[in-house]
Amino acid sequence: MGSSVAGLDFALIGHQESWRAAADVLAVLRGAERSRLPDDEIKDILPWIPPRVVCHVEVGSIDDAKIDRAQARGIYIDSFIPPDRLGAGYVHENIARVRAAAACAIKAGAKIVSLGGFSSILIEGNFDQLPERHDTAFTTGNTLTVGFIVQGIKKMCALEGRNLRSSTLLIVGATGDVGSGCARCLAPFVKRVLLSARNVERLRGLAAELQAHGVQVEIATGLQQFSAEADLVICAASLASPSLLLGRVAPDAIVCDAGYPKNLSPSAQMPGAKIFFGGLGQITGGLRFTPDFHGILNRHPFPDVVHGCLLEGMALALEGRFEPFSQGRGFITPERVAEIEAIAARHGIYLAPLYNADGPVQDTLVCETEWSSAENPHPSEAWMGHPEG
Amino acid sequence: METLVGLNCSTVECTSPTAPIWQDILAQAVTGELMAAMNYASLSEICDDPEEVADALEHAQIERGHAARFAAEGRKIGVDVSNNVDAKHWKRLREAFLGCITERDFIGCLIVQEIMLESFAVASYARVGKVASGSLGTTFASIAAEEEEHVDHAMAILTAERALDPQRFDDKVYRLHLDVMTTLAKMLAKECKDGHCEVCHATCVKPALFDVRLSAAELRGASLQQYLKTLDMLGIPGEVTLTWVAQLPV
Repeated sequence: MGSSVAGLDFALIGHQESWRAAADVLAVLRGAERSRLPDDEIKDILPWIPPRVVCHVEVGSIDDAKIDRAQARGIYIDSFIPPDRLGAGYVHENIARVRAAAACAIKAGAKIVSLGGFSSILIEGNFDQLPERHDTAFTTGNTLTVGFIVQGIKKMCALEGRNLRSSTLLIVGATGDVGSGCARCLAPFVKRVLLSARNVERLRGLAAELQAHGVQVEIATGLQQFSAEADLVICAASLASPSLLLGRVAPDAIVCDAGYPKNLSPSAQMPGAKIFFGGLGQITGGLRFTPDFHGILNRHPFPDVVHGCLLEGMALALEGRFEPFSQGRGFITPERVAEIEAIAARHGIYLAPLYNADGPVQDTLVCETEWSSAENPHPSEAWMGHPEG
Repeated sequence: METLVGLNCSTVECTSPTAPIWQDILAQAVTGELMAAMNYASLSEICDDPEEVADALEHAQIERGHAARFAAEGRKIGVDVSNNVDAKHWKRLREAFLGCITERDFIGCLIVQEIMLESFAVASYARVGKVASGSLGTTFASIAAEEEEHVDHAMAILTAERALDPQRFDDKVYRLHLDVMTTLAKMLAKECKDGHCEVCHATCVKPALFDVRLSAAELRGASLQQYLKTLDMLGIPGEVTLTWVAQLPV
């Protein structure tokens, strides 16, 4: 676990989504001169590793007006939740791992901690399960995740020439923190909202809240119960397969995979569906890992892309706002989303280029335009040359 | 064969099909305890403080007692428990410890014995204690607890030592880690790739561990976890120790 790190701004708590990703992390740690560990050895060893710091992280800002906040220093702590133990049967074990990782962040002296991936899902309704903390703020990072999901939906609609106003939006996992936040942000802009989740009481509560603002809402615990077909879909809870949406949504629906882990991919059964991974942002002010885990800890087809939940902690650190911005469940409002988006954008953290399991979903021209819109084509390299760096 | 204690083993007809497995597990445990007794006896020779001398000799006696208790458990299930501190891996571990003795490196001795070897012992015994039935399980569990308890004293000394010069201390731990933990990692590997360990009475016991609800992978995992946690308690950065462990052979 280790001792405190001088001048530490943030800590990111995460875990690997797949055995392949875990193998890559261990390969970096072993060094190029040693052979990679066989898969069976990794599966035997990883579950025994106690949560700990894996690397140091530095993030740069593009905000020249705040020279003293031109960069923030952090650590990445892996809870070493085994990729095949994300199910309900391991909740207690996994909460213990997140608690131990949180203790590690507190001990290191992090001023703000973002809970990435499954860590935030485990703790979002139970912040009291975190260890006692004094000068360390914890955020689930869900508000910025919602912001990037909503931005992604709007961007995809624009790319596909869809009219948001005439759309029917389905949210799967609607009563979770991210799902309900997306509902609040997008409901005013669409024709109708379909909310799906397992808990009927929570569904009713969210529907009543939206209906009070004049939104047309339907709720159901199963997709087959809805009277209308959705053409916009946000999967805020993981689906086993996109085929589960088959016959329940429009054949050419725009589908945002915002679940964790992301497991929807373009399917032969739904060739017309436009699937993209949501909730991801891109750092344009520079991102550095020590040791170098670029493309290992953030495995995306574009550089310096990070999950929104982790970016929230980095953005708040760059802003010097060490506060529990996102906590609990069901408190994400459009105003809070706008606030964190503004903070992120001020420091050069924007919506990531859209992609899915098959690669980028935009054409090359659009991607190139996005790249050139950043101040530097290779932001991390440019930032590393910053005189303050 | 080690002759520090007379185990007075007698051959009794095995009463259980798993007895030969326990025989080998106990042989490893007895060997480890006898080597610990030898290490503490050696340590007493380089201690300047009479209290530390007495402590080391007391620990040596305790470890002999553990060896005797394990041997007695073997007799209860009808097996002779042999030991071999000259077996290749154990011998290498002993040599690493003696290297510290030669250099009169008291801190190095504590690191090898208390941080590395005891992590292995505490974790392994605790796992065995959970699956072994009757007095065999109780003995493993209680010895695991006793070993864990007496680590505290060494931890206090080592923590104070690290506070004086963390980098120097961590470098020393790493040097010893490369030697001792590499050997332990080979011992704990799922398969003995370097041939017979010279402790098991016949073929390697590892493939048979599943028959007593254990596995070599589990014992290795638990041992490495205990080691990492112990290093955490010393204050060595987690990212550093993670790299050390990740680089061990499998």
